[in-house]
Amino acid sequence: MTPEEKYELFEKSCGNELSINEKARLNKLFDEDDAVKKEFQLYKELHSHLDTNLNTENEQAALTDSLKKLGDNYFAKKPEKKVVKEAQKEDKEKVKKQIETTTTKKPKVIKIPAWSYAVAASVAIIFGVYFFSQSSPVYNDFATIPELSISERGDAAEMVKNAENAFNSKKYVVAEKYLSELISRDKNNAEYQFYYGISLLQQDKYSNATAIFKKLYQGNSVYKYKSIWFEALNQLKQKKYDQCAELLKTLPEDAEDYKQAQKLLKKLQ
Amino acid sequence: MGNIKLHTDQKYIEALLKNDTAVLKEIYENFAPKVVGYIKKNNGDASRAQDIIQETLITIYKQAREKGLQLTCPFDAYFFLLCKRKWLNELKKSSGKEVTINEGIVSVDDESVRFAEETEIFNAKHELFTEMFDQLGKACKELLKVTFTIKSMEEVAQKLGQSYAYVRKKKSLCIGQLTQLVQNAPRFNQLKNLL
Repeated sequence: MTPEEKYELFEKSCGNELSINEKARLNKLFDEDDAVKKEFQLYKELHSHLDTNLNTENEQAALTDSLKKLGDNYFAKKPEKKVVKEAQKEDKEKVKKQIETTTTKKPKVIKIPAWSYAVAASVAIIFGVYFFSQSSPVYNDFATIPELSISERGDAAEMVKNAENAFNSKKYVVAEKYLSELISRDKNNAEYQFYYGISLLQQDKYSNATAIFKKLYQGNSVYKYKSIWFEALNQLKQKKYDQCAELLKTLPEDAEDYKQAQKLLKKLQ
Repeated sequence: MGNIKLHTDQKYIEALLKNDTAVLKEIYENFAPKVVGYIKKNNGDASRAQDIIQETLITIYKQAREKGLQLTCPFDAYFFLLCKRKWLNELKKSSGKEVTINEGIVSVDDESVRFAEETEIFNAKHELFTEMFDQLGKACKELLKVTFTIKSMEEVAQKLGQSYAYVRKKKSLCIGQLTQLVQNAPRFNQLKNLL
């Protein structure tokens, strides 16, 4: 028996499509060769693995997003950032104290020089500015949402109008619905997909958005580079700075968002 | 399987399957503190703990989805064991850093250990299968995606403009190829020994 025939029998068995003769043939094979039996078990397992996993991508992405949100909320209750802020405060106070002690170490001098306050204040300001500019960049500083304007095509015209209106008035939940409907009619339309991705991202549906942008930047549409940029912003929004930087580095110089990307990269370093 | 007595904590498994955020929130509130405490004590921080918890819950979800996980032990010990081992693995992977193992946090009964081990083996297999799937050629990957997302093979055949028998044959060859890839992976033999 050729491997082709063997696998066809395996497949028929998984789909309950074996004739009585074929069933007997397969059982005979199993009796004769334990390796075939084992191979069939693995085949069956892979069949069920594919069946579940190729069908539940969206469901799993939705769960991942829920968990991310719940986790963010749960962990935000006891943020570690507080510690950093406290440390900054302490630092500032230390400097102030140092200045105070250095100034008060000369007790015989009659007046406390007024400039010491100025120094303290400016040191505090410098610290503030320093830490402020050190703080991590955020999504909203970099995300400029483009306008959606789709050229109309026949019977989809009304759906397109609805999608456009919803998207441009920032009603992303509604836009998602219309765009998803449009995509189901026109699967390879990169424009629909790109704006669909943004609608998801604006609703913090991170993993779903990633799936869309990834498909686009692995492809060759006009939205290739735009999708890299938005996927980087997606990572930024989730505070995954390393992943964000990795994506930004793949943007070529002639990409529309190159300059912004470089700016963001600098902030991330 | 009929007569096993499910533990009331099966509700957490159901919540993962249904994406029921109210109950999922309970998971964080009830079970996260112990995990966070453990990871912090062992060279980690809260943000790593958040990742470990999320990854572990996704693994449990996958097992429940594919194999119909039925919990007959408390979620607490099972979940903690999984998070703990995942974290220790990460530590081992990322550095030769000394790993302090703190066993005495949860009283562990045999059943929780058994469940956790099953989930770990499931996860290892799942990762291997996914990796090998990625190694398939583009044509096979696409064919499998189509045949498994559109349930009716007749519809697939129609869509591809091929006969039903032809599509089934192609599909069987692609899964056959995947079977070979998995069988030849050294990791598969290690896994087999665990079963």
